[in-house]
Amino acid sequence: MGGDGGEGKTSMKLLKIKDRQMWIFFVLPGTILLVLVLAFPAFQSILYSIYPEGGGSSYSLNNYSILFSDSVFRQVFGNTVLFVILSVASHLLLGLGVALILNRDIFAKPLFRLIALLPWVVPDVVVGIIWRWMFDPVYGAFNDLLIKVGLISTHVQWLSNPKLALLSVIFVNLWRGFPFVMLILLAGLQSIPKVLYEAGAIDGASRWQLFARITLPSLKKMLVVALALDIVWEVRRFGLIQAMTQGGPGNITEVLSTYIYKQYFQFFRFEYASAVAVVMTVALLMVSLPYIWMISQEE
Amino acid sequence: MSLFLVLCLGLFIGFSTYVSAQEKVTLRFSDWHLAEAPWDKTLAEAMALFEQRNPNIKVALEPVSYKDKETKYTVEIAAGKGPDIFHLHAFSLPMFFDKKFAKDLTPFIEKEGGAKFLEPWYPLCINMMKYKGKVHAMPGDYMSMVLIYNTELFKEAGLDPKKPPKTWDEFLEYNKKLTKPPERWGVAVLGAKDPGFELRFSPFLWSFGGDYLTPDNKKSTLNTAEAKEAFKYFIELYTKYKVMPPGVPTMNAQDVRTQVAHRKIAWEIGSGWSAPIINSINPELKAFDVLAAAPLPYKKKPVTTIWLSSWVMNPNTKHPKEAWELLKFITSKEMELNWFVKNRVTSSRKDVSEKAPEILNDKFASVIASQLPYGKVVPQIPQWPEIMDAFTTAVQEAFTEMKTPEKALADAHERINGILARKK
Repeated sequence: MGGDGGEGKTSMKLLKIKDRQMWIFFVLPGTILLVLVLAFPAFQSILYSIYPEGGGSSYSLNNYSILFSDSVFRQVFGNTVLFVILSVASHLLLGLGVALILNRDIFAKPLFRLIALLPWVVPDVVVGIIWRWMFDPVYGAFNDLLIKVGLISTHVQWLSNPKLALLSVIFVNLWRGFPFVMLILLAGLQSIPKVLYEAGAIDGASRWQLFARITLPSLKKMLVVALALDIVWEVRRFGLIQAMTQGGPGNITEVLSTYIYKQYFQFFRFEYASAVAVVMTVALLMVSLPYIWMISQEE
Repeated sequence: MSLFLVLCLGLFIGFSTYVSAQEKVTLRFSDWHLAEAPWDKTLAEAMALFEQRNPNIKVALEPVSYKDKETKYTVEIAAGKGPDIFHLHAFSLPMFFDKKFAKDLTPFIEKEGGAKFLEPWYPLCINMMKYKGKVHAMPGDYMSMVLIYNTELFKEAGLDPKKPPKTWDEFLEYNKKLTKPPERWGVAVLGAKDPGFELRFSPFLWSFGGDYLTPDNKKSTLNTAEAKEAFKYFIELYTKYKVMPPGVPTMNAQDVRTQVAHRKIAWEIGSGWSAPIINSINPELKAFDVLAAAPLPYKKKPVTTIWLSSWVMNPNTKHPKEAWELLKFITSKEMELNWFVKNRVTSSRKDVSEKAPEILNDKFASVIASQLPYGKVVPQIPQWPEIMDAFTTAVQEAFTEMKTPEKALADAHERINGILARKK
């Protein structure tokens, strides 16, 4: 027996040593992949951004200086901030509203859930192309529909009117993007114990009080996740805007992602485009880090 | 025994070499036309013919959208990949040359006979294919921009289809007669930031006596009285006279052609490709019968934009010999005539465009060919796409009345000077 026990300990020791080494085999492939697809391009972009445009040998911050003195970049940055704020806010409001409705016992609930999810599964570019046609002032179905229900009397130029172009794109982005927020919040709503509402009702709480004191606090974590993810996605939103307006009319709907694309792939200004990309990443990190920190604190 | 083994080995190596010699080389061929009817069919047929004549070469067809072709090729070539042969409009060449994204074709051309081999092409076309004195691409379609108009709508408006307008003033008067909103408008032009914009707008600017840049391409000339007059005329067709349909600021070339196909507008500025594409959008229009072509109107002097496409060999190609065979085939007299017969595009080869009875007797091609002597090309500089973006931004700002035409043009002038000053 003693001999067996000794052998068992030895094999355990051997196994423990192997266990300690095993993490390398699990972590290494992922690390290599991350370095290759994330860290290396990021490092390369930073390097490009300080490389002089049109060739040269000395590194400098000249591209950043050009960038911040460029009135178009400032306009594009402002457009991006407005686009993200309005898109994310509208996603949260509509997403929460629809999630609350679909969480109730309504007729054909699974069907409505499926319908509500549909806009989210259509690719960005396809949504952009479809809505570009829907908004067409001559052929578009959107104008016809609004005229028929009496909301407008003449055909509106949704994408050609500088006052409406960005709002029209945001409207389409609302339609396309709210299902994701709805899905997350619906999952959150379903995890709230019903007994809390029952206890609240017994205490005489109104519907609003139940929502404000039970629903919203219970959804806090889900809201933070949805908010953080949606901000990151909306800053990067590209296909929809490119397909709908290409940043026009003028630069009214130009956002950072379309601007970078244009500078890099159409004008071949690799160094300047990299500087814009770095600024966009820094701005994104500044917005996202507090949320990531908040989540990690709670955990 | 050892001798037997050596013999076996020798036979094996010999057989392997024979097999590999018989292996097909696959060439990647990319063209935006592959995504367009009726070009897709014509190209597929032509490539089948090439494969039949070159049994050791297989051609893989790779469609790309017209707007995204530069992006796709740039990314792929920068990564050491990309199609072996690809199609570009000539305006993109300076950027590709600048980045060394086009293979020097001089060694192949020298083998074919050098200058004598290039003789059939128009010298202007060959010159536009050169980078530092060496040919880096082969010319393809060569056309001038003309008016494409609906003769039936002319008759309905009481206009004689045999007497198209000769000046821009007449053009405006014709448009006023043709416009009957919301059913119909006179003309539509591209307002979107689309590579086709400069083809359609430049004749306005040039015929008024203006230009984009100084002859040395160092400064903008959009502050001249002629440029201002041309720009104002162009913008007011939409804002003041309203002879263009709503939505022009976001229209691309296909949108405009769709409006022609569905009789929403009476004419457009187009070329050899217009009638076949319009016909494919709406065959009921009977585009080849109903449409006609006429030289572009002018203000001070007749002038039009030259369209020239080019075939480029990828510097990363692993099969340059076979790729050159494909290039030769695509640009051969036989194929250049084939492109015309099937798709109505005239050729950069003199022995096709000036000799083929099919072209000389065609109602569209004869007008297009007659305008080539009045043709002009936009500046061939790497900054051109950025300059055009600044300019189309101004056009959109003026179309949508965000700025007056004067202010929008003045801002574009400043911005373009900034772009030109930045380049070393």
